[in-house]
Amino acid sequence: MSTLIMIDQPPYGAWSGREALDMAFSLAAFDQPASLLFTGAGVNWLRQAQEASGIGQKSVEKNLSAAPIFGIEAILADRAACNTYSLDESSLIEGVTLVDVKTALLTGYHHTAFAG
Amino acid sequence: MTDSSTESFTLVITGAPYSSQAPQTALGFAQAAVNAGHHIDRVFLYGDGVHLASALCAPPSDETNWSEEWSRFLTDHSIPSVACIASALRRGLINEVEQKRYELPAANLRAPFEIAGLGEWVEGRIKSTRTLYFHAGD
Amino acid sequence: MTAIQTLHILNKSPDHPRAARCLEIMSAEDGLLLIGGGVLLLATGNLPGAGKVFALSPDVDARGLRQLTGDASVVDFPEMVALSLQAQRVISW
Repeated sequence: MSTLIMIDQPPYGAWSGREALDMAFSLAAFDQPASLLFTGAGVNWLRQAQEASGIGQKSVEKNLSAAPIFGIEAILADRAACNTYSLDESSLIEGVTLVDVKTALLTGYHHTAFAG
Repeated sequence: MTDSSTESFTLVITGAPYSSQAPQTALGFAQAAVNAGHHIDRVFLYGDGVHLASALCAPPSDETNWSEEWSRFLTDHSIPSVACIASALRRGLINEVEQKRYELPAANLRAPFEIAGLGEWVEGRIKSTRTLYFHAGD
Repeated sequence: MTAIQTLHILNKSPDHPRAARCLEIMSAEDGLLLIGGGVLLLATGNLPGAGKVFALSPDVDARGLRQLTGDASVVDFPEMVALSLQAQRVISW
């Protein structure tokens, strides 16, 4: 019963990305296999050196780096979207796997969901 | 799978009433599922969807009161309905327990909605034949 | 009805980035169910070439699109319930 949680909302300006993370962490807490897939503007969650205190928010960078410890199976990011937003190995946080988002990727999961 | 066999659903609503069509589409789906003899394991409100559980929505009298419609449907069919606690508290959807805990001036959760954690979603997702999401359209 | 591998339920209007991604990823074995603002795809005339297309009737009627349904099958809520069970998996975009 593997689940893929998709995040296509950009960070900070929209809340649903955070709520998507909570869904994935919650699956993992109940020993349900879960992976995260960042697409579109959502890949900007994965950039190094986010400093969100100036806008009164907490950075999610630490939560994401802790994802494997909490049992999240994989953090996937759409290769094309990373190119669009100037994200490469040197600017992405650790532990991200670049993928091409195709039908085959989604059919590998029993369940695919957005947070909103 | 035939239409006549009994299947079960968990419905997740993430779009708020009056800013999205999500609660009304979900209600149309839920009514059709029940009429077809299927079972709705639970309704889970997440993100902005928690606003559906407000007892204080007061739309003009010539508009549908979606909170009231949902509440009646859930009660009539004894369907458990849960608003995610983290989403609800952030957005000011409060039951009496949380009102006391956080010393807030009021509680506004409409019966039969309850407040609980994401574990309810995880459980529904494991148990139900299908878990469907009703998001906002924008 | 033939088997549907993934039923994509799309409620985003054609200008929403998620609509584009949904259509991009859809395969010939999949079904596309347009609901809410998603039914506006009918008005563009650009329905996906591969896979079956369905549109939820109250949403089609609300937006005055009854004459523009093209190759899409107009379905009601009971049929939406049946479709969601018939498909191997459902993605709500």
